[in-house]
Amino acid sequence: MTLEWIRFIAAAVLIVLGLCSFGAAVLGAYRFGYVLNRMHAAGIGDTAGLFFVIASLVVARGPQMDTLKLVVLVFFLWFTSPVSAHFLGQVEYYTNPLLGRHVKQADLPKPEGRPEQENVPKQVVEKDKTKGDGDAAD
Amino acid sequence: MTIEQAYHTLYGGALIVLILLIGAMVIRSIIGPRSTDRIMSVNMLGTMTICSIAILSVLLDEGYLADVAMIYAMISFVAVLMMASMFVPSKPKVPVLEPDKEQETASLEEAGGEK
Repeated sequence: MTLEWIRFIAAAVLIVLGLCSFGAAVLGAYRFGYVLNRMHAAGIGDTAGLFFVIASLVVARGPQMDTLKLVVLVFFLWFTSPVSAHFLGQVEYYTNPLLGRHVKQADLPKPEGRPEQENVPKQVVEKDKTKGDGDAAD
Repeated sequence: MTIEQAYHTLYGGALIVLILLIGAMVIRSIIGPRSTDRIMSVNMLGTMTICSIAILSVLLDEGYLADVAMIYAMISFVAVLMMASMFVPSKPKVPVLEPDKEQETASLEEAGGEK
């Protein structure tokens, strides 16, 4: 009986850690001002959040066939999450005409198919940053 | 309080928290200023949905829900890839950095020669 309760406490700690990771991911998605920064926060939820929640379920369930499926699920999402993040960054790189406001890309060559970057004065950039912070606080 | 009730309370509370977080990500996907923000929000929303399905599979003691979670993961991955490939040109050609590097090294050598 005591062993059961020890297992329950381990599962509870793991799932609280997982929910904290998801909370950090959602908080980052609201607080950061640009999508390439938000992707960093989303990665926390995709890796740490999923791992801790599934680890809690594995501890609670014990050694069974369903547990193996959950472990396979974790490994599948660990492989697919960086791929989708890479594609998302590529989309942002190819479609945003105002990328120069957020990313320093003076040394990068211009690939074919990317729109022309607008020349943005420095003052406008700083004003835009403060505006973005205000939006994120909402 | 038996151990079954304790597990029920724990995972029920976790599901409620996950529902609140999913609602927050739905709002983020509505107000996201660019399409990439929306794709990112939908991706995160899918991960949280997978977690809630996995929790349900343990809470209800139904093994087949783990399969449903795996299939949901595959579909969400393919959806994100399709949405991304709508915007990216099929074979992006990135020019090579070599000429710039050569110029830099040449200028560096010149500077060294002057000294």
